Formats: sequence, structure tokens, C-alpha cells
Amino acid sequence: MSTPAAVSWQKNPALAWREIDDETVIISPNDSVMHELNDTGSFLWKNIDGKKSATELADLLAENYEVTPDIALSDTQALLEEMSSRKLVVTVPAGGGVSP
Amino acid sequence: MNAPLANAGRGSRRQFELSIGCVPLRLQMSDAQLFGAASARYAAFTDAAAQPITITLNDGAPPEGTLADFGYELEGAALRALSSGIRFDGVRNQYALDSLLRVLLSWKLLDHHGFLLHAATVVRNGKAYIFTGRSGAGKSTVASLSPEGSVLTDEISLIRREDGAWRAYGTPFWGEFRAAGSNTSAPVAGIFRLLQAAENRVTTLRPVAILRALLPNVLFFSAEAGATRQLLEILSRAALEIPGYNLAFRKNSTFWEVLPA
Repeated sequence: MSTPAAVSWQKNPALAWREIDDETVIISPNDSVMHELNDTGSFLWKNIDGKKSATELADLLAENYEVTPDIALSDTQALLEEMSSRKLVVTVPAGGGVSP
Repeated sequence: MNAPLANAGRGSRRQFELSIGCVPLRLQMSDAQLFGAASARYAAFTDAAAQPITITLNDGAPPEGTLADFGYELEGAALRALSSGIRFDGVRNQYALDSLLRVLLSWKLLDHHGFLLHAATVVRNGKAYIFTGRSGAGKSTVASLSPEGSVLTDEISLIRREDGAWRAYGTPFWGEFRAAGSNTSAPVAGIFRLLQAAENRVTTLRPVAILRALLPNVLFFSAEAGATRQLLEILSRAALEIPGYNLAFRKNSTFWEVLPA
């Protein structure tokens, strides 16, 4: 099941993360698992701010990387779904705040 | 006798002071048998430093409703960090005490830019070589192949950043090697991830790969986001500032020949 492209995303506030070696390293405190994001993933991660939707993030990706808007959107959605399944990002409900 | 051992003057409670990685600790307990075992176990780390962290053992239940800054339970023994001090409860023997001390240090070291790592540390030419890896990776083998007196620990290394440089400290937390812990320190030469192989070979790791090698071997017991962020900052800095390598090695002392000087 995919999330509608207009829904906003935000980083899971419980995580620890930082950039090192041009990669983003994310640790979830509950299991100490280390997640690594590559260049594109790091770019998206930096721009996930609780306000932007997949569509807006894809627009930024297309502007900064040489990809067409439709590929940027499908890549962005796939990455968001992947990060969501690992509980790295969560959707923001229409009224604001973090969804459970 | 290992001084200073003193009676605190509060009933039959006794105390002694020690220091691990320059973190001063004061243990207070009334169990004479546990006191004897603990003071023997940590004899090499006995130290009277200013403002030690006071740890009270088996002092009955804390006041109801008391909130801990940090807490951890391990096989019936519990650590609670309260504003009034640290409490270890349900400590039945020296091994439970040892486990809770590791947990406490892993938390307290965050404020000293340090961490505990599953690693053997050997001092050679005045520098600390840190060999990390899971059980069976070869930490004890490295320790047993090193000259007597040069091994800071064969199991748990303590690494701290001080005045802009990283130092490795000996700890009383030993594995199979079972010698008296070495209460000394040395500047860090490098971190080596142990991989057993048919021949000795060293390959340099990028900082993110060093971080990847460190994380599964770091002792850390807090699930709190703030503490995890502090730890990640410390480890990332270590990964950026300490040279790191994969060390494929045969189980003999010839591996020293391939290590960077």
C-alpha cells in the first residue's frame, strides 16, 4: 500500500542521526541498529522537515539530480516507504503532529 | 592490604574507592563477603580521587515514587541513578556488581567523551592498539600472544577523548585472559577489526566503515534518544579521528609485522 503523494513526512523524533563521509547514519535507540543512507537518501533525509510531501521532495530531487520528475517521484516514494517500514520517518496527519 | 579501605561509620557499611578510566567511584556496602570479593577484584584500580560517584549497594527499596535519571535491570540486579546518588540493588555476588559497573560506566562516560568497547588493547612502543570484534574474533588470542604487562584488557576497552586526543585505558573487566587488570593508559594508535584468515593483511577503513565496525561492539544500555545522540557524536568523532583498519590475521604473533607503526 502506498502513501498518497500529498502527505507530509517527518523524521522519527526518537532517532539519533548524523552525516559522516557524505553518508547519513541513523541509529534507532531501541535496537541500536545502524541505518545508512546513500547520497540521494541523505539529500532526501536532509529535506524531510515535517512539512514537505513526497511530491515536493521529488521536485527538489529532480532540481538537484539529473532525473526526470516522474522518476524522481517514484524514487522518492519508494525511499519514503522503505524508510517508513524501518520506522525512520512517519507521516504527519492533516492536523499536524506525528501520527502514531 | 589495598588502601584506602575505610569504614564509613554508618552502621557496618564499608566503602572503598576506585577509578576506572579516570572516572572516580566510591562503592558502599554492608555485606562483608561481597566487600572482600569486590575489593580484591578491583585492587589494581583502587584510587582515592576527588568527588567520586557514590554507589550504594543493596540499601533497601528506594523511596516510593522516586524517579531515576537512568535505570537498568540485569538478572535480578538493578541500577538506579537518582539525584541523591547511584543505587545498585539485588547484587548477590561480585559478578552482578561487575555487570552493573559496566552499565554505569557506559552511561557516565558519555559526559567524558568516552565509551566502552568489546576489544583487547595492547600497548606497544607507548601506543595503544585496539583490537575489536565479537566473541571468538580473536581478542583473547591477541592478548595471549602479547608480552606480559602490555595488555590493558583482553575484553572491554575504555576509550576517551582528552585534550583533543584519544586515549585507551585498562579496565578491570577481563575475559579469558584472567590476569590482574592494568590500570594504565596510552594514546591510541588505531582500531583494528579482527578477522581470522590464513594470512596477515591490513586494510584501511573509511570513517563510516569504522563506525560500522565500532557500533555492534560498543557497550551501551540506554534506549533514550538523547543518550544515543551523545553516543553517536562520540563514536563519529572517534571514527573520523582514529585510524581504523580491518586486520585479517593468523592465530600467531606475526600479525604485528603488518600493523602500521
